[in-house]
Amino acid sequence: MNMNARLRSLRPYMTVFRLRALMETQYRAAALGGLVTQVFFGLVYIFLYTALYAGNSPEMLRDTITYVWLQQMFFRMMFSSDGELTNLIMSGGVAYMLVRPVDQHRFWVCRDVGGRLVGAMMRLIPMLAVQFILPRELRIGLPDGWLSLAQFGLSLLIGCVCLCELMSILDAINMKTLDKRGVSAILNLTMMTFSGNVIPLTLFPDGLQTLIRYQPFAQALDAPIRMYQSCAALPEWALTVAVQLVWIVILRWIGRSMWQRRLDNMTVQGG
Amino acid sequence: MAFIEAQSLSKTYTRHNAPKSGGISRLWRREIQQIQALTDASFSIERGELVGLIGPNGAGKSTTVKLLTGILTPTGGECRVNGRTPWENRREHVRHLGAVFGQRTQLWWDVPIRDSFLLLRDIYDIDHAVWQKRLDALVEALELGEFLNAPLRQLSLGQRMRAELCGSLLHAPELLFLDEPTIGLDAVSKLKLRAFLKEENRRNGTTILLTTHDMEDMLALCSRVMVLGRGRLLYDGALDALLRQYDTVHTLRVVFEEAPEIAALPAHVTRDGDAYVLTYEPAKMPTSELLPQVLSAGRVREMTLKEQNVDELIARMYKEMAL
Repeated sequence: MNMNARLRSLRPYMTVFRLRALMETQYRAAALGGLVTQVFFGLVYIFLYTALYAGNSPEMLRDTITYVWLQQMFFRMMFSSDGELTNLIMSGGVAYMLVRPVDQHRFWVCRDVGGRLVGAMMRLIPMLAVQFILPRELRIGLPDGWLSLAQFGLSLLIGCVCLCELMSILDAINMKTLDKRGVSAILNLTMMTFSGNVIPLTLFPDGLQTLIRYQPFAQALDAPIRMYQSCAALPEWALTVAVQLVWIVILRWIGRSMWQRRLDNMTVQGG
Repeated sequence: MAFIEAQSLSKTYTRHNAPKSGGISRLWRREIQQIQALTDASFSIERGELVGLIGPNGAGKSTTVKLLTGILTPTGGECRVNGRTPWENRREHVRHLGAVFGQRTQLWWDVPIRDSFLLLRDIYDIDHAVWQKRLDALVEALELGEFLNAPLRQLSLGQRMRAELCGSLLHAPELLFLDEPTIGLDAVSKLKLRAFLKEENRRNGTTILLTTHDMEDMLALCSRVMVLGRGRLLYDGALDALLRQYDTVHTLRVVFEEAPEIAALPAHVTRDGDAYVLTYEPAKMPTSELLPQVLSAGRVREMTLKEQNVDELIARMYKEMAL
C-alpha cells in the first residue's frame, strides 16, 4: 500500500478521535464539577501529607504535592468511561456498529483516546489557573526545565494510548458480561492504587520500586510524572518510553484477540 | 446468479435457562436450551427488488437480516450476496450495505448530525465531492436542511428517523436493510418516508429488504413478500395473491327500522347494539345475491359493507398457519 492509501485508510480513526474530542467539549458543566472535586481532593491529600511530614524533609513534601496535583489534573484521563459500548450492546445498537467496515478495536481505542485527552485538557487548564490563587506552599512545583516538560508531554500521550489499550480489555470483558459494574469496581480500585492516585507510587518502599514502576498501571501517568519531576537522561528516558511502548504492544495484542472473539460470538439482542 | 442467494439457511441459538426446580442449586445449575431461530430458509432476490419480510415477533425476521449482513454466522446453509459470503469477510461485505434499525441509532447523540455524517464519510471512504453531492441530494429529499447543524438529541422522532435514513444512504449502498423504519412516525412522516424509499429504489436501483409490522408500509412499498413463522419461510411471492387468498370474509352492517325476520337472512348474524352484523363469504354468496334478501327482510335505515383490513387478514393468516 502506498503512503497516500495508507493515510486514507486511517481517516475513520482520526475522525472518530476528533469527533469524540469535540463531543467532550460539550460537557462543560461536568468539567466544572470535576474541577471542584479534584481541587478538593488535591487539597485534602496535600493537608494529609503536610501533617504526615510534620516539617521533616520539605524536599519530599514538595515533590509529593506536585505528584498529587498532577494526579488530580489528569484524573479525568485516568478514570472516565462513557459506557457507550455497553449501552450499544444492551440496546442492540451494536448492530449498527457491526455493519461498519472498520477495524472495531482500533476504532474504539481511538475514540477513547480522543475523549480522555480532551476531557483531561478541559479540567487541566482551569486547575492550572487555580494554582495561582493558592498559597505558595500548596502549589504545584514547576517542571525540572523545558526538556523535562517536553518529556512529560510526550510520555503522557503514549501513556494515554497505553491506558486506552488497557481499557479495551475491560470493554471486551463487558461485552461478555453485559454489565460493567462488577469488573469496573475491581479495576477502579486496582487502578487507583497502582497508578498512584491513592498514594504516589514514588512513596512505595524502595525494594518494590522496580516492580511498581514497570507494571502496566504505572505507564499512563506515573511514568510521565517522574519525568516532570526530574529531567531524565537520554538512556533512562528511552528506557521509560520503551517500557510504555512494550506495554502498548502487549495490551493491544490481548485486547485485539479478546475483541475478535467477542465480535465473532456476538449475539445481537432483541428485535 | 441472483443478487442474493440463500440455500437452506439455519441458525440455532443457545439459551441458558434457570432450572425449574431446585433452591440454592440454581446458583450454579442452568439448563441449556437450543432455540431454532431459522430453519432451512432458501430464497433468492434479484437486484433492484423491494421485498417485504413479515411474520409475528420471534419469527426469525431479524435473524435473517443479521445473517445477510454478516453480523451472525449461520449454523447451517449457504448464502451469497452479490457473490460474497456475508460472514466470511464481514468488513468488505458491509461496505456495500446500508441499514436502518428502527428504535436504534447510528448517529451520535451529542454532536450535530452533520458531524456524524462526516464520520460516516470517512468510514466508508467516500470522495469528498461525491459525498457533498449525495448529502445535498439526501438533505433535500428528506428535508433535513434546517437541523443539519443541530445535535441529534434535539430532534423529534420523525426528524431523527429521516436523519438515520440519510446516514444509511450516504455511501449509496447496493443493498438496504430497513428494520421497522416507520415505527412511531406520524401519518405525514410515514407517507414522506415511503415516497422517498420508492424513489431511491427507482432511481438508484437499490435493493431494499424491509421488515415491518406496519401492513400499510408493505402495501405501499413491496410487491413481493416473504412470510416467516417460527423460523420457517412459509410464503414467498406476490403480496396481492397472498391477500386475496385470505380476503374471504366480508361484513355487512345493517340497521333496520323495525325488527327484521332474522331467519330469512342467509349469513351468520350477530347483534351490535341496534345493528345486525352479517358475516359472509363472497365466494359462496355473492354480495349481489345477498343484498336483495337483506332488503326484503325489513325496512333498512342504514347499511355499510366492509372488507377485512390488512391487519385482520394477516392476523388470520398467522392463525391459519398456526403461528
